[in-house]
Amino acid sequence: MTDATRRSRSWLDIVAVAAVVGALVFAMTSPRVESQGDSARMLFIHVPTIWLAYLAFAVTFVASITYLVTKKLKWDLIAGSSAEIGVVFTTVAIIGGAIWGKATWNVYWTWDARLTLTAIMLFVYIGYLALRRSIPDPEARARRSSVLGILGLVQLIPVHFSVTWWRTLHQSNTFRPRDIQMDGPILAALLMSVGAFTLVYASLLRHRVHLAELELVALEAAAATEGPVAGDAVTAPTIDSAGAGE
Amino acid sequence: MSNRFWPQAFAIARRDLDRERRSGEVAWVTIPFGAVALLLVPLAVGINQDVLSRIGTGMLFVVVMLFGVLTAVRQTNIETPAQRDAIALLGVDPVAEFAGRSMATALLLLAFQVVMGAVTVALYGLDLAGWEWMVVVMPLTAIGLAELGTLSGSIAASTNAGPALVPLLVTPLAIPLLLGSTQTVESITRDGVNLSWLVLMAIVVLVLAIVGVVTARPLQETR
Repeated sequence: MTDATRRSRSWLDIVAVAAVVGALVFAMTSPRVESQGDSARMLFIHVPTIWLAYLAFAVTFVASITYLVTKKLKWDLIAGSSAEIGVVFTTVAIIGGAIWGKATWNVYWTWDARLTLTAIMLFVYIGYLALRRSIPDPEARARRSSVLGILGLVQLIPVHFSVTWWRTLHQSNTFRPRDIQMDGPILAALLMSVGAFTLVYASLLRHRVHLAELELVALEAAAATEGPVAGDAVTAPTIDSAGAGE
Repeated sequence: MSNRFWPQAFAIARRDLDRERRSGEVAWVTIPFGAVALLLVPLAVGINQDVLSRIGTGMLFVVVMLFGVLTAVRQTNIETPAQRDAIALLGVDPVAEFAGRSMATALLLLAFQVVMGAVTVALYGLDLAGWEWMVVVMPLTAIGLAELGTLSGSIAASTNAGPALVPLLVTPLAIPLLLGSTQTVESITRDGVNLSWLVLMAIVVLVLAIVGVVTARPLQETR
């Protein structure tokens, strides 16, 4: 790793942490929503986490296609790393949503279309990660998981449009450019939070891809220096042609 | 597309159907297993006829999806890496292989659905109004699930987790098919057929076919 790469990574970390602190200040000082009280501040966690889940899985999709086209392993590492982060943030979004749901709907879970499909989306990517773990060879893993990375996006479409297709308990999409129903300070805090979480994602992705590259190098080094293993000295019995049949 | 494509695809499909004819796995294992599941549900949720007739169609497609995965997994279970290598070395077009496998699995799944449908009607006392649309819904479900199963089987072949992984890959991805099939039937009983659900199913089938065709070669090369 070059000094420039290391420097840019640490700058990204610093900017991400600063943005999170800024977003936290905005979230805490934003006006109180009368109908929901302070529980409405969950908005600043819930929306960015689900946005990150979408972003992470979309990156997995794009990186999977790019891997299949270019055959460069780096893209597979990006796809796998992004999916890992996506799974973490989807889990956080579901748990955060459940806590917020308890405060507003008085239930942790309801059979709402958005909730149910988001949980199913989580299982799609858990399957993706399980597949990656079950293939030791990096090339084979890359090719097979890239197919699943592409297929996974099919699931994102019903998740996103579920609030439109089924008019259930979950509110409709938060960001509708032509119909923003949010006060200025709340919208500013939400956008700040989304920006901060996106920077956190970028930072985590860079670290995870770097780690994956190191794992790959270690794997290649281990394969290159592989010495004799126990049992190598044992040879299969052979039939001596002179003594055959005796 | 070479002029050997369809003969190869049909040969692969015929081979898979011959295997089924010899082993009888779907006929003697999957279908009875699915029928037992349909029999168990009323014991668990109660035998109120109104409830059963309301949940019947949904149960039918849940059973089709969960047990249909067993049909899709079948090929991953029985084929060895050597067999897969032999098919690749014989020069079989990977897209023809995908098409052939999907065709055979779709036919088996269609048969499975027809039997499960009859069992559900008999056990749950379903109203058959609008069931003529099943002529469209069942084949779309079968083709979609077959494509998904074939793709997942190819992805999971020769992995450490092997066939155990396929249900985890197929089931969540089959949700649009489950929604499409159940919502179409539900819309018929409510206020006439809602074609948008059929369109959703058709789009999913098309997308899966495109992904299957595009990725067939890279998947064959990784075996």
